[in-house]
Amino acid sequence: MSANTPKNTMTRRQFLARSGALGALGLSLPAFLAACGGTEGGGGGGEESLFFDNWPLYIDPTADGLTGTVDRFMAETGVKMTYGEGYNDNNEYFAKIQPLLGAGKSIEADIIAPTFWMAGRLISLGWTEKLPKDLIPNFANIEDVYVNPTWDPTGEYSMPWQAGTAGIAYNIDVTGREIKSVADLFDPEFKGKIGMLTEMRDTIGLICMSLGIDPSKITSFEDAAPAFEKLAQAKADGQIRAFTGNDYADDLVSGNFAACVGWSGDVLQLGKDSPNVRFVIPEEGGTSWCDTMVLPKGLANSTAAAKWMNFCYDPVQAAQITQYVQYLSPVKGVRDELAKLDPELAENPLLFPDDESSARLRSFATLTEDVEAKFDEEFSAITGA
Amino acid sequence: MTETVERNNRIARNADRVGLGAMILASICLVALGAHWVSGPMVSVIVLVLVAVIVGVLVLAYTGGPEARRLLAPYGLLKPGMLWLALFFLAPVWSLLRISLSTKESRFSVNYNFSWAFENYTKAFSDFGKQFEHAFVYAAIATVLTILIGYPLAYVIAFRGGKYKNILLGLVVVPFFTSYLIRTIAWSTILADRGIVVRALNAVGLERLFEWMHIMDNGKLLNTPAAVIGGLTYNFLPFMLLPIYVSLEKIDTNLVNAAGDLYSSASRAFRKVVLPLSIPGVFAGTLLTFIPAAGDFVNAQFLGNPNTSMIGNSIQDQFLKQNNYPVASAMAAVLMVSIATLVLLYTRIFGTEDLA
Repeated sequence: MSANTPKNTMTRRQFLARSGALGALGLSLPAFLAACGGTEGGGGGGEESLFFDNWPLYIDPTADGLTGTVDRFMAETGVKMTYGEGYNDNNEYFAKIQPLLGAGKSIEADIIAPTFWMAGRLISLGWTEKLPKDLIPNFANIEDVYVNPTWDPTGEYSMPWQAGTAGIAYNIDVTGREIKSVADLFDPEFKGKIGMLTEMRDTIGLICMSLGIDPSKITSFEDAAPAFEKLAQAKADGQIRAFTGNDYADDLVSGNFAACVGWSGDVLQLGKDSPNVRFVIPEEGGTSWCDTMVLPKGLANSTAAAKWMNFCYDPVQAAQITQYVQYLSPVKGVRDELAKLDPELAENPLLFPDDESSARLRSFATLTEDVEAKFDEEFSAITGA
Repeated sequence: MTETVERNNRIARNADRVGLGAMILASICLVALGAHWVSGPMVSVIVLVLVAVIVGVLVLAYTGGPEARRLLAPYGLLKPGMLWLALFFLAPVWSLLRISLSTKESRFSVNYNFSWAFENYTKAFSDFGKQFEHAFVYAAIATVLTILIGYPLAYVIAFRGGKYKNILLGLVVVPFFTSYLIRTIAWSTILADRGIVVRALNAVGLERLFEWMHIMDNGKLLNTPAAVIGGLTYNFLPFMLLPIYVSLEKIDTNLVNAAGDLYSSASRAFRKVVLPLSIPGVFAGTLLTFIPAAGDFVNAQFLGNPNTSMIGNSIQDQFLKQNNYPVASAMAAVLMVSIATLVLLYTRIFGTEDLA
């Protein structure tokens, strides 16, 4: 066919040109689609704007005939709000903002939602702005336990967003039985079907408690070393399928995870649509934590941010968030408001723990900088790729 | 008149050197800008030098007469490529090597101090040897599999495709119009524990066999080494198939007929005629598959488990989660050097004269 090429077949040159063009199209199409869905930039014109970058599944959306908190806020204040769900993992998010905040530049978000220890780190690095408290009269509604917390001793930089517990989430279709103890996560029956969180304080905290170590009293790496050994061994044995951030939900629902370390509210939310997904605080005890709202240094819209914080600390609004996210609210008066919306939920001990369940919860000790560095290094050696 | 000719001759004598010098100077300027050698007002000085050099050569070519233009032309043609490489290859590689020998000021610092910190390289080898091994082993297996799958497919399309040739090639290429990520994540749905493939295997009772072959592990296909290698094979198949197709397609079928006329069996004709002529395609395909596959992290991320991480995952993790740029850079440098060495060895052993 070299001498006289029939008309119907492609020459090599045509072929290369065409496949090149197709390839280029294939490469540029996703980029084009991505460009169409670009996020909206910061303040434009006279209209106030606000960008809150939060964890996934962490606010009530406008759906099922209910107006979401973001939309209620925009309707009431006229602030143009962008609500992001880009916060999947504390360390990952820190790595994202560090080059900017560390170099004295500002980031796109006006409010971010670090977990308490990460808030503490950001505050001590001086990467956060003081809250304009005179614009947040509802700050008075904060629950007593969160006044001047250990991570923000002067209480000037952070406001809790939601609090919750870490325990075991499991898919009873896969496990075939109720899960009660952290020991079940290490049961060879579930080899390769167990998920662990990349959130060190929850994963290690739970394992510590199952080994009889109180995570709230840890002062050095040696205190928690047995938990690290146990986790490393489980990984080496192939017991662990994946270390995940907030994205464990899909694997749990689809049944890839028989059980995993999970967060109370997420799993309760998932349970609404998938009744086989359940949450339990292990009999050895669970960890408690709190996610906060902080203002990154150099934010563009601190007045709008204050309006948002004030809005969320109104018990009427907070109760609607709680009704959806099913975490512990840091706002006083939510239980009474929630009782009007959903009396059954207002009695749920996972949302409003009684003394007995509170006694089974521990929050991870505040680590000194060197000790934290050691913990992070050892933990990333196990979870890191 | 004679004066102009004299001047032009003089310029022409030096044009060769001027052209080379200008290109090198312009490249150095771009590397300096790209790798942040200079800061503050010096940046504008460098930009001015860069512009002056380029404009100067253009002026010289314009005024210097035909002989000067003839000598300057090769440098003019080389320049776009050279300058592009200087800015987008040499400068980043310089930065990478520099950071790989630096230490951080403190744990959360974004500044790196250059200090000949070779311990970054020691750490890269001692802590991530396993991941290097996974990367090369998985990429090698995937490359062999793409040859085994891609060659027969390309052969059929090239010699038996007839009027369906274009459609068949389209079927190979069309899935790659979607994003790489989406295609890989789609596999994690297909291979899921309660997904269609695992259920089908259970139904026909092949599960035991697959468990025995270590393709499945405790009833799961997803998040196993086999899934990672499968993902790599799937994602890189066209990079193997298309070069092989091109080299097969240009083979004159009369050669095969001639072999038949000389009483060669079909398989012998294939071995002695078609295969040698198509080797350049296999060679190109191997490079196009192995190199990106060894650095890939997407497949191991979505289809693997914590024990199947490849070096790409570690580099990504160190860069984007642990914020450990020095060690991450050291790993990237090691990966680059080891792939380059492997490729050089490969070209040495298998030769590339026919590749053109």
